[in-house]
Amino acid sequence: MAKALTVTDVHKVYGDREAVKGISFDVEEGEIFGLIGPNGAGKTTTLRMICTLLQITSGTINVCGYDVKEQADDVRKIISYLPEDAGAYKDLTGRSYLKFMAEFFADGEKKDAMVKRGIEIANLGDRIDSEVDTYSKGMMRRLLIARAIMPSPKFAVMDEVTSGLDVLNAYEIREIIRNIAKNGVTVLISSHNMFEVEILCHRIAMINEGKIVLSGTPQELKEKYNASNLEEVFVKAVTQ
Amino acid sequence: MSHLMNITKKELKEILTPGAVMSIVVVMLMMCCIGVLINGEISDASKLSSIGIVNGDEEGEYSDLAIEYIKEVYINNGVDGADIDKYVVILDAEYGDNNAIIAEVQEKGLSSAIAFDPDFSEDITAGIAGTIEKYYVYNNGGIFSTTTSAVNEVLIGYVNTYFSNLLIEANVDNPDYSSEFLLNPIDQSVDLTDINGTVYEGITPYQISTTLMGQTMMIPLIIMIIIIMIGSIVISSMGNEKENKTLETLLTLPIKRTTIVAGKLLASALVGLIYGLAYMVGMMFYMGSITSGISGVNLADYGLALDITDWVMLGIMVFLSIMAALGMCMILGAFVKNYKAAQTMTMPISVLAMIPMFVIMFVGWGKLPIIGQIILFIIPFTHPMMAMNNLMFGDITLVLGGIAYLIIFSLAMIAVTVKIYNSDILLTGLAQTKTVRTFKKIFGGKKHAE
Repeated sequence: MAKALTVTDVHKVYGDREAVKGISFDVEEGEIFGLIGPNGAGKTTTLRMICTLLQITSGTINVCGYDVKEQADDVRKIISYLPEDAGAYKDLTGRSYLKFMAEFFADGEKKDAMVKRGIEIANLGDRIDSEVDTYSKGMMRRLLIARAIMPSPKFAVMDEVTSGLDVLNAYEIREIIRNIAKNGVTVLISSHNMFEVEILCHRIAMINEGKIVLSGTPQELKEKYNASNLEEVFVKAVTQ
Repeated sequence: MSHLMNITKKELKEILTPGAVMSIVVVMLMMCCIGVLINGEISDASKLSSIGIVNGDEEGEYSDLAIEYIKEVYINNGVDGADIDKYVVILDAEYGDNNAIIAEVQEKGLSSAIAFDPDFSEDITAGIAGTIEKYYVYNNGGIFSTTTSAVNEVLIGYVNTYFSNLLIEANVDNPDYSSEFLLNPIDQSVDLTDINGTVYEGITPYQISTTLMGQTMMIPLIIMIIIIMIGSIVISSMGNEKENKTLETLLTLPIKRTTIVAGKLLASALVGLIYGLAYMVGMMFYMGSITSGISGVNLADYGLALDITDWVMLGIMVFLSIMAALGMCMILGAFVKNYKAAQTMTMPISVLAMIPMFVIMFVGWGKLPIIGQIILFIIPFTHPMMAMNNLMFGDITLVLGGIAYLIIFSLAMIAVTVKIYNSDILLTGLAQTKTVRTFKKIFGGKKHAE
């Protein structure tokens, strides 16, 4: 299977602090890949480098054949990034927010179709015409996921995608992610929620203190660490 | 500690951030500096200025009497009798030779002169008001440039009262002298003012200044308002993007960073222009209603008008200064963390807009020391604020220099903005840069360095 993402010996230095210390991993097309690790391990920095938001100090990142350093504009055309705690423009309604975002990807009928798809994904009913400012956290997250998915990106990056959501909202969002992966979109997620990662991701990589300390399928890792779930794997990997 | 004290302490900590304290200090220092400058101008303006006298009525009794009386007025106001010739200067220029009189006034460092008509004494003797002509050199120096008009008028007013008293005492029963003449034996209706090397009749510096105030003082005010408004809009926009967590999404959209920068600049510039136009219309009515009753002089009759080229240059300057302000604000906006921080960050822009406005309004460029002129030149907002006056008074070098400087400054600001938008600083802030981390390590201890 072709690689959607290849990260090779990537370092990120802030001043005199090295946040990412030579990580390498790859993600296959159509795969849901989980990046897990404790707070401050370098997950968000890695995702931001993949999405062209932060400069890479050294190493290379290739997204669907495009080099992130050299072809950042091309990378931005095929990816979609949903940051942790992302928000929308509060004075817009859900519908106008989706329209505003769709303008950057298409025009005419294609744009209308994209907005229609976004509204379906968001599934907010009549509230799609309410101002974003009035949305609950779950509604906001559904709108933002709809925004991220509606342009049919090749590669979707989602940081702590269900953080702070109730069980029903989290379940719905995981279903949406499964569906888009089935339709060929490659998904890279970062999460603290081991249960979510275990049931959602095909493969995972664990990052700690800026280094990849383990990677594989959830099953492989559980067997390797003789653990009943990923949480145990996580604890054993960090403490050993 | 009481609950009230606890909450008050927390609120104060939130309100009195280092940025807010810095703003208070900067405003205080700025007001002090402006106060010193204005105080200097008021002191200069309130000093008894020297006057030149051309006596066309050399053989006349009344002109000699008037000159002696003027000297007496100076002595009574604290001038040493030995120095009186420095204050009341008899000019060599011929009566009626306006250019020669003005040239001698400028050569001898005087601000004004009066000239006695050759028939001055003869007229008064005949019961006709004697004419004293007033000469001024218009000095474009802010609000206090009107004082030269006042000196001449006050002095002639004193002479008029003095002569009136004398004539009433001596001729109270003389039917040849009308009461109107006895009350006003001096005709001081002839005013001659040098503007840009041409002597115009029928206008005083006071009239020019009050009319100019309506036309050119409005420009600095409007520029200041536009700069502060658009500064606030741009910086708050960046603060909102960060506070609402929309910036990261925006930066990963398939658009160039320069497009994002240009979009924000364009929107703010348009709003700035709308503000500008609205304030200009409002201020025109406001200032017009104030000044029309005072002077009502058409400056174009005296060569003080802008032609099409001047208006184009003024427009270019306003546009460039808006671009410079937007560039600066985009840079400042890149460092704000939220909307609240954005409010504090508008302070430097406000101060930079206020300094030239006050200095130009009260002091004027020409009266500043060279260091003051250099500082004012560096502030980009100075140039459009003084452009109208410079164009009217023909100081084209300063205008062209200002345009060149503004082009360089705006391009530099936009280049820095684009560079910042292409760097990590926008998301990570300055705290993550090597310089700041090293600085914190040295001065802030281990805790900050980690």
